[in-house]
Order: sequence, then structure tokens, then C-alpha cells
Amino acid sequence: MYYYGIAGPALPISWHQVAAAITPRCATEAAWQEACSQDPPLPAIPGHSVRVFIQAERTSSAHFTGNMLRCLDSCPRHLLVCEKSNFKQEKSRHSAHVETHYFNCLVSVLLPECGPLPEKIKSTIEGFGSYFVIRNLSVHEFVTEDFRNTFIKQGSFYALSYQTRIDQDNTAALLPTGKLILSVDKDTYEELGLQGKPSLYSGKNAMRYTINIDLTDKALSADGKKFQRINWCLSEKKPLLFDFLLAWENTESSSILSYFSSYKIKSCPFTINTTVLRDLHCPVINSGRLHGKAEEACSSERVFEWFGAVSNNIDCTNQSSSFISTFCCPFPSTVVQQTSLCTITGFITPEKIQRLLQQLREYFIEPKLTTWVSLMVHGFADSPVSWGENEHGFCRGGENLYSFIIFNNEDYWVQMAVGTHDDCPP
Amino acid sequence: MSLSKRCHGECMPQSKLPEPTSYERIVLKNFSEYYYMKVQLVFQGESVPLNAAQFKLLIVNALRTLHGEVGSSLPLDLLKYNEDTLCAILRISSRGLVKLWSALTLCGRYQHRECAFRVIQTSPFLLALAGNSRELDLG
Repeated sequence: MYYYGIAGPALPISWHQVAAAITPRCATEAAWQEACSQDPPLPAIPGHSVRVFIQAERTSSAHFTGNMLRCLDSCPRHLLVCEKSNFKQEKSRHSAHVETHYFNCLVSVLLPECGPLPEKIKSTIEGFGSYFVIRNLSVHEFVTEDFRNTFIKQGSFYALSYQTRIDQDNTAALLPTGKLILSVDKDTYEELGLQGKPSLYSGKNAMRYTINIDLTDKALSADGKKFQRINWCLSEKKPLLFDFLLAWENTESSSILSYFSSYKIKSCPFTINTTVLRDLHCPVINSGRLHGKAEEACSSERVFEWFGAVSNNIDCTNQSSSFISTFCCPFPSTVVQQTSLCTITGFITPEKIQRLLQQLREYFIEPKLTTWVSLMVHGFADSPVSWGENEHGFCRGGENLYSFIIFNNEDYWVQMAVGTHDDCPP
Repeated sequence: MSLSKRCHGECMPQSKLPEPTSYERIVLKNFSEYYYMKVQLVFQGESVPLNAAQFKLLIVNALRTLHGEVGSSLPLDLLKYNEDTLCAILRISSRGLVKLWSALTLCGRYQHRECAFRVIQTSPFLLALAGNSRELDLG
């Protein structure tokens, strides 16, 4: 039976586009396949309308329409976790939140009532050094005994495959704990011959698998069967080559260059961007009130949204009657004459963020006009893990980010946000 | 060090600072009323100059064409717009996300010129649009 029709512009669009545009998730499989089998572009009909029919079998029209309307109103799942605590509390988990979020691509520091960046914070950022990008590195290099003894046992080594998309390509990551994580599609998994688990987010018929290899395992000695098997799979059976981002938290991090000298490798500096924002509307925050209070303090989630507005340089001074935008700063707010915003882009390790967080805590040793400062950290959208070994997927945005608000009395708020294909942050 | 300590003691005594807060954790699931989209308008051949009002009107008209008056009355805000690159950040109420996305997909013409919307990034968190690891270009 045919029962769904729409009127749209007269364009040479394909069935794929139409099906994706109208009913991203509600079409039955039969309807979807039927639509896709007729993929050649629809003829454009003069008179500015295209009629689209989707043939659906084994379902009633009422069920189909109900599903369609529900899907039109739905939006992907997302989570925001807000915590408040004090740095001096024994059980404070601020270090764990930073240290277990391994792969970070962007860090911003927001300092209200501050013109140029304070010297200590500036020198900490400039002292970040550099990270490395290496081309066409075979994953089996990480498994060799020489590599494990030189790097993994001597400090935190971070590696993440570069420009691989986790929703379509194979992806690899080496965590500082010595775990090698491969997120591979079904074909690669079957060819590779290593044991893994189906991805949590690939549905009943898994099309993606995650392989977790512990490189600190004592059973992984050079003459052991386990090592022989892993080495053979990764070097001969199905060699996996990636471009990698590398970082090593060790004073001799430059020895990466000499170790991988047979590969095309280069050192990359961090991109640092500093701006001073004038007459910014800043929300009023009270460290004891995570939920906010009417007329007195803003809630945590409103502040988190405002951080987004500041980072994107969005104007918050709109009128409620404006046609363009009605977005405004959360209430209550104050106007701050100058606010410093510094953004660092690159492959940033948690140790570096930890140093920056420590500097921001020390910022309040001397009295300041502001009562809080903020640190915002964005994770890689295509990393196979978010926090710890929590599996991470892209879905529609791949967001995994967190922000700290550091108050002048050593209190802090932390807000951790994840998208659809992610577990709840720790 | 001693100077800063002394200053700390004189100018901002500990008693003036609020008491240390206790631990509290809240988990908000699907809390966001809004969804954010970073989009770019591209033209076949030479691009047509649009100001912010014209850009928004184009999107509202696209919503009206596909979803009628209900679609065009969805709360939609143009948070940021760059006239040179035709890049914009949109805010839409969560229940209108699929409607907006479908309307953008099917919007193909402006002033008799062929055009298309490219959706660069979407997220329920505005902060997520400030960084895009897929755009990290190391040459």
C-alpha cells in the first residue's frame, strides 16, 4: 500500500535523500529498502512539487503515521552531569575527572575581570611544548617489546589515530594505562582474528567491534603464544596502518622523534589564541547553589550554555522581540568590563590540563575582583573512549566535554556532557 | 610568596569567603530544550550575498514549504552569522530538530540560484560547537 506523500521543491533529488529527510528512523525496513532500490534521481516535475510515495509492507498506516510523528518530535539522547565540591575535600574527584579523560583537542580558559593573561598562567600554557603526528604507522609497532620497554613503562604514552572517523573507519587509541583499543568494522574484525566485543551502540547485528589489548600484561612476553598471535595478526594477517597523534609525558619526550625516525614524523606546536572580550554579560553564580535560585543565582546548566555562547563569540544582548535571535544571557547577570579568553588547540594530555587547573586554583592566592574562573575542555569526537574505558561513538555529534568553574574559596563545579553513543561520565 | 600571603590576609580575610560547599551530583538526562546546529549555505557557482535577516527568512520559508505554518512557527534563532562565509549557528527547540534538518535538506533554491545547506555540526550543547576535532588540520 502507498500512503505517504509530500510536496517539496522541484529538484533532482534522490530517493536516499528523500527517505533520509522525511523519515530518518521511522520507516520500516521494507519501506527503506524499497526506497533505496529506486535510487536513481527522481525526475523534477514542473510546477514546483515532487510527490514522494513510500511503499511499506507488513505494517498498518496508523502505526506508520504514529511512528513518523513521534520521530519528527524526538531528539537524540544526551547527558549532562553536574557536580559541586571543594578541592580540599579528601574524597574530591577532580583529579580523576581530568586524568581519565585521555584525549582532548581543545582547552579554553575564561577569566572574568582580567585583561591580558596573568604571567603564571601564560607561562604554563606556553610551556606545554609540542605533540607529534606520524604518518602510516602500523599498529603492531606498539606491541613490540622494545616499544613497551622504552615508552609505556617509562611514563604516560598517548596515541590516537588521526583523521579517522569512528562512525565509518577503523580507529585505534593507546591509553596511558597501556591499553591498546581498536574499534574496527565487522569485515576488519573477521579478517584480523583477534578477540573483541561487539560495540554497545551497533544494534543487534553488530557492524563494529572493539578490541582491547593490555600491553602491560605479563603474559605478553616476547616468546609467549599470546604475543606471537597478536604480533602475527597485526603485522601479517591484517596490517592496520594509521596516521597517529602521539604524546609522551616524560622529560625526554623528544626521543619519540628518534625512535620513529624511519617513519614520516613531525612535531606540532599547540595553537594558542587569546582574546579580550569587552562589556560581557556574565551570569551570577553561587558555589553552594548548583540548581541556582530565582533572582539570586544561575543554575549550572544555564551557565554551561552560556559558556558555549562565550566560546562561540555569540552576542547575548538581544531583545526578546528581535527577529534574528532571542538568545540572551541567563538572569541574574552583571556586566564585566573585560574578560580574557584563551583557547589552546592540539593533542592535549590530561597532565597538561592538570597543571593548568592547578595554576587556576593558585590564581586566587592574590585577591581578585572576580569570584570564579573557568576551564573548558573538549574531547576528540572520534576517540574510541570518553572517560576511562567507557566506549564512545559519534552518532550525531560525538560530543564528550567538560568544564570546571573554580571559585575563590577552593570550591569547584564540574559539568560533564556526553552525546548519544556514550556511557554516563564517572 | 610572603607578600602575596600577607596581602591575602589583609585584603580578603578567610571569614569573608563563603563556607566550603558540600559534595552534590546531579545527572540531567535529555535536559536541553534546544538543539544547536552549525550550518553553511553553499551556492552552485557564484554565491549570492545575504544578510542575517534574509538568511533566517530563507530557512523559515524552507520550513514553511515542507512543514507548513506549524513548521515555520517553531522557535528558531540565528545565534551567529557570518556574511562572508555564509556560516551560521542556529538554535531550534528540540522537538523541531528533525523538521529543521529535513527542511534544510530539501531547500535547494534561493533567488533562482541553486543552493544547498551543509550541516557541519549539531549538538544539544552549545559549547560543543566551539571545538571540532574533525577540523584539526596539521597539514
